Amino acid sequence: MYPFGTFPENLAAFADALRRDHGFRVGPGELRDAAHAIDVIDLSDEQAVRHALRPILSSTLADTLAFDQAFTTFFFPGPAGVRQDRMASTRRERGPGAEGREADAAAASHAPHPDDVSVERNAGGGPMTPSESTDDAVEEASLFAPSTYSPLEADNIEAPELPRVARAWRDAARVLVRRVQVGVTRRWQPAARGRRFDFRRTLRASLQTGGEALTARWLHRPRRTPRFVVLVDGSRSMGDDARRALQIAVAMASVTMRIEVFTFSTALRRVTHDVRRAAAGEWRCLNGLEHAWAGGTSIGGCLRDFLRRFGERTVGRDTVIMIASDGLDVGEPETLRDAMRELHRRSASVVWLNPLIESLRYEPTASGMRAARPFIDTFVSVNDVAAFARLARVVRVRAGA
Amino acid sequence: MTDAAAIHDHFRERGFIVDEAFATALQIMLALEKPLLVEGPAGVGKTESAKVLADVLGTELIRLQCYEGLDAMAALYEWNYPRQMLHARLSETDGSSLEEREAYMFSERFLLKRPLLDAITRDRPPVLLIDEVDRADEAFEAFLLEVLGEWQVTIPELGTIRAAHKPHIILTSNRTRELSDALRRRCLFVWLPYPSLAQEIEILHARVPDLSDRIAQQIARIMEVLRGLPLRKTPGVAESLDWAMALMSMHRDRLDASTLAQTLACVVKVHEDHAVIREHQAALAPILGEAATGLDPGGYGLGTDFGVGSVSAPRG
Repeated sequence: MYPFGTFPENLAAFADALRRDHGFRVGPGELRDAAHAIDVIDLSDEQAVRHALRPILSSTLADTLAFDQAFTTFFFPGPAGVRQDRMASTRRERGPGAEGREADAAAASHAPHPDDVSVERNAGGGPMTPSESTDDAVEEASLFAPSTYSPLEADNIEAPELPRVARAWRDAARVLVRRVQVGVTRRWQPAARGRRFDFRRTLRASLQTGGEALTARWLHRPRRTPRFVVLVDGSRSMGDDARRALQIAVAMASVTMRIEVFTFSTALRRVTHDVRRAAAGEWRCLNGLEHAWAGGTSIGGCLRDFLRRFGERTVGRDTVIMIASDGLDVGEPETLRDAMRELHRRSASVVWLNPLIESLRYEPTASGMRAARPFIDTFVSVNDVAAFARLARVVRVRAGA
Repeated sequence: MTDAAAIHDHFRERGFIVDEAFATALQIMLALEKPLLVEGPAGVGKTESAKVLADVLGTELIRLQCYEGLDAMAALYEWNYPRQMLHARLSETDGSSLEEREAYMFSERFLLKRPLLDAITRDRPPVLLIDEVDRADEAFEAFLLEVLGEWQVTIPELGTIRAAHKPHIILTSNRTRELSDALRRRCLFVWLPYPSLAQEIEILHARVPDLSDRIAQQIARIMEVLRGLPLRKTPGVAESLDWAMALMSMHRDRLDASTLAQTLACVVKVHEDHAVIREHQAALAPILGEAATGLDPGGYGLGTDFGVGSVSAPRG
């Protein structure tokens, strides 16, 4: 079972493999804990070792999903076939539900990605199929099912490069982030003038005046910092406008940490990490976008996918959703309408950046755009930095958000 | 209480079924004295696990329910202001110096312990449940790090209080926002998934002892199907238990289509989900048995075309 002689060596090598191949954040602290943990369990019991190391070395759901595969690969490097077979059978044993879900996947309706409830039930300990266990499983997996169909087949397109942003763009982004007001937090904070009496500080101050509370202290509720979600339509019809939208995303990521960025075409892909790195001044290419770039457009499907996989974590009453798309959707308008209604309901504001508005006498007559229009709070085009700077003044945030 | 099998048995005695992975995580958590972060969908028993753990260890459970705007004061300590005020008034003329009065007013007599401070000053380590930590904001999370990392709390007026014993900490999160890496690094992490079919049947029997095997099977199988559907609100174990109780109180020995329609409210909590289930009702037919021909039209939710000429082939 163990490739190296002593267990500490194995452990160190395993941790190294997790860091290198799966992007785990395993430091000396985790290693020490792991070494301590294996003292209290039976080392000859493979499952026990697995279950003991998993909580220590992984720290997110994605890690947990990747862990089992990594463990198997590291400690049982033999011919893959044997264990793969066992995995497949274990998966089948999970009953009719599992196959129903696979059938669903084949119909490309609901992808079985690890972030999805159908797979979550496996996550505790059940072996994973290899495809689900790759590092970026959570982000990538949806590509496996929906990518089996593409309304318009994508050509070989080179990976888009994330632009460096000029100072003017960053300034405009900063103004936008500051201007957007999404209400106040529920937290109380000391303030010169506020709505609530601050007992603690008043009393404390009174000690300076011999127990006489001469100066009243107050608490107020500070403003909530808005969260942003930028969804960039990377389909071919967007052309250069998609790159401009990425530029906006990078500019915003350079002034706020509370941002999530996604690209979509016929599939959705989270690119927040790359955008943040680009915002920090690194040269970054968006590799492996596959069906999330330069294909056809399935806006409704992708937004629905977004809501299912990331909605819970990224969309709230303090979230401004920015969709950069021309609205030329080839999917069902019904799907888009439902997704937009949901986004509208759950967010503080929905901003749609449509490059076509600039065209003379543009009417949003595309069926997709017509379906989405009622749920858009701010409908503008941002074709240059001046327009982006203006955006801060026109963004409408719904009251009560 | 030292190995996973023992933990499993102890939990089972109290009607809580833990799988091997979770039992081992609890074992490691107790051995390493580290906090355990439990994530998972709603209704899988994250909170319950902490309660049962306290019971198993024969210690107290201290619960800190997180909410937006929860601040250090509400979680840690507060001064008893009315008492301080009163004391300040009464001691005005007793001739003590300002320093003496201040020291007295900010002594432990006037300190109200909130859950975090309470947990680290107990004589024996309690189980501290920090529930739904994702609902608190980032500022609170940063504050929590100090407690989790250092096991000490600083009160400006009193100084630093060190933990006499490390409490057993369980944090739960429903993932309404991402927790910081720093918090995650200080915790062991375990994902608590929905139970498997067999586990769910076991849970139903453990919690509802008089439930017939047949209904338990049916409930668990229907739950498995429902959790695979794109519902707005996916039912958890809590819903299964509610449902089992409801069926028990109706004295049903089996679950058929009309009973399903009458009691679906135990499980489906969002109106739109009824439509989703209607779309996928063919998947439920084999579970309800061949007698399933037509749902009670009086029952709300499911349509009446159920099973009429459209019963699907049994799922292979």
